Amino acid sequence: MTQAVPGQPLRLADRSPARRRSGRGSGAAPWVFLAPFIVLFLMFLVAPIVVAIGTSLFKVQKSGLGFDTASKTVFVGIQNYATALADPAFIAGFGRVLLFGIVQVPVMLALALIFALLLDSARTKFKRVLRLGVFLPFAIPGVVAALLWGFLYQPGVSPIVEGLKSIGISVDFLSSGSVLWSIANVSTWSYTGVNMIILFSALQTVPRELFEAARIDGAGELRTAFSIKVPLIAPALLLTALFSVIGTLQLFNEPTILKNLTTNITTEYTPNMAVFATTQANGNLNLGSAMAIILGLVTFILSVVVSSVSNRRGRNA
Amino acid sequence: MATHPISGPKRTVRRKKLVLGVLAIASATAIGLSGCTSGGSGAAAPDPNKKITLSFWGSVPNEAKSVAIWNKAHPNIHVDLHQETGDDGSKVPAAVDAGTGPDIAQVSQHSLPDYVINKRAINIAPYIKNTKNLYTPAAWSSVQFGDAIYGVPQDSGPAGLLYRTDIFKKYGLTPPATWDDYVADAQKLHAANPSIYLGQFSPAEFGMYYQTMVQAGGSWYGISGNSWKVSVNDAGNQKVAALWQGLLDQKLLKVVQMWTPEYWKDVDSGQIASISYAAWFPQLLKQNAAKLSGKWAVAPEPTFAGSTAGGESGGAAMVVLKGTKYPKQAAEFSSWFDSNKASVDILVSQGGLFPAAKIGLQSPTLDQADPYFGGEKVFSVFKAAALISPDTAQNGPGFDKLTSDLADQFGKVASGSETFAQALDSVQASTVANLKSQGLSVK
Repeated sequence: MTQAVPGQPLRLADRSPARRRSGRGSGAAPWVFLAPFIVLFLMFLVAPIVVAIGTSLFKVQKSGLGFDTASKTVFVGIQNYATALADPAFIAGFGRVLLFGIVQVPVMLALALIFALLLDSARTKFKRVLRLGVFLPFAIPGVVAALLWGFLYQPGVSPIVEGLKSIGISVDFLSSGSVLWSIANVSTWSYTGVNMIILFSALQTVPRELFEAARIDGAGELRTAFSIKVPLIAPALLLTALFSVIGTLQLFNEPTILKNLTTNITTEYTPNMAVFATTQANGNLNLGSAMAIILGLVTFILSVVVSSVSNRRGRNA
Repeated sequence: MATHPISGPKRTVRRKKLVLGVLAIASATAIGLSGCTSGGSGAAAPDPNKKITLSFWGSVPNEAKSVAIWNKAHPNIHVDLHQETGDDGSKVPAAVDAGTGPDIAQVSQHSLPDYVINKRAINIAPYIKNTKNLYTPAAWSSVQFGDAIYGVPQDSGPAGLLYRTDIFKKYGLTPPATWDDYVADAQKLHAANPSIYLGQFSPAEFGMYYQTMVQAGGSWYGISGNSWKVSVNDAGNQKVAALWQGLLDQKLLKVVQMWTPEYWKDVDSGQIASISYAAWFPQLLKQNAAKLSGKWAVAPEPTFAGSTAGGESGGAAMVVLKGTKYPKQAAEFSSWFDSNKASVDILVSQGGLFPAAKIGLQSPTLDQADPYFGGEKVFSVFKAAALISPDTAQNGPGFDKLTSDLADQFGKVASGSETFAQALDSVQASTVANLKSQGLSVK
């Protein structure tokens, strides 16, 4: 680290890269500390991706009945990718999760923002209860949450469905039109809390003097919230948006559990479910790898788009 | 993807999932590749005095007692049982591919062809000659592929009709002898009380469709020379499609996903007056609808006009796996395990399975009167059905994908956007495409 000159305050300029370079010791130390990360990163992230890419370029070729003849593993180039992209169910899965994301992510983040602002507001009562109450669903594993909501969605056993029925309203949470939004509801319920915590933490870092100044200038709570707080935590908001987009594309637990309750969730309902069905039920690792790589690429591209929007916003601000 | 440097608590669960998925694919690939090079482990020269150990992965409760009988009688061929719990049968293929699998495993008969084409099962025809007549014809047909035998049938699922005696009495119905009678009963019941249905349509429960399809003489697969035949929309299938379409169009079936809390609520509240399913179902009905004790009875499955055939949804088989050093002994044990009287008695009485072996049908357990079914000997109906199920249904590769495709298509039928006939055509096309994409010959 840089050394402060006695009697002089440490200036920001002292942290310049040039200064840091000149101050470094032997080159080995950082690598020793990084080694555990790098080894695990290579072993459990990079290597599997490389192997998956390799696998996706091959195909197990059988012949005849496949009983007595030996099967060959042959190189097929991008054929598996073409097959995956030509599968309407797989593509429909992307459309479905994108539609899901366009609706669910803004709703969830709006809720998280409102809760975070409420928690931050001096006027709100019972803050601890509110914070715990909103955050608690996140502590419940996704599978359990889906099972729990599954009960509430099922006609015959659901107090909600039966209650609405008794006052003359007939709802079907598991119909082909509504089931996607029933899944969105589970996700929103599960993840609003953690987004709220991220946004709330960001709010805590905003200097309190700004709020004081705003108050002196005559701004009310609402005005302070929307003109001071929200713009200042915009980076955190975009970060949560990024996580949410990634999570949306990888939707798996909730629809897989709810699939047991309704055939309106098909085997390849989301891209991740399609990958699972292809590799597990059908044992086609090669095609499944290609699908996983496609899903990974789409997620990566969307992440880049979201973060570049975030960066541009940051520069403009 | 997971290459993004930012990490947060929110999505780690899902990210981990993807990473694990990729990892699973990766390791499975590595396993698959290594599996290609190894293999060719031929049978060791038999030495009758040498002590050998066979490993056996099985899931039937209390089967260790049968294994113990074998071990006592065969000091030189010791069988080591690994009792599977839950779904860990799905790890068998990966273990076999990795060369760490057992010598013998219990496998669904429907999965057998996939085991064979992926070189996981061994042809045991040379070791178990003249055992065909020990098993019911339908059960035997599930392990035979041409001249090859890829397993020993263990249990089966002959169909019977469980019905509510109180409801039948109240509405003046008698158990239907034929499917035409069934439709008439369904109409009569629905007209008398629209909230009660004679039966159910559970789109994802392929076994209910399968047993009736087998009964109608249909088969999803066939073998013709060196090619597979796919026949998901053959005459037998069409027969069931027409029957079910008629029932569904007249709203005579309760459309409900089976095994859900909603389903058992429908059963409990008497909305479903009869359930046609396999011999293992009565046990599950008793567990899940305990308060309806004494209100159920069993009748033979209704038949199609001009036929006396019963229905059959399949069972499991003992399969000798690739990599075993002792295929002969493994096959002999499997054969003994599934057809020896003492062993099968244990599997039936304490394992709860319905036997594929004819000798098992004499098990005293299957002659017990059951108070839940009004003191009736509930299995006598299933025993009779086991002997009249057609042996014409052929299993084939891609079975799991076929059934999940079928569930997806039947879901569309349930929501009214497709007919059964269209669903079958769609599954036919996707199954043919799946087999062809693997390079298999399809006629």
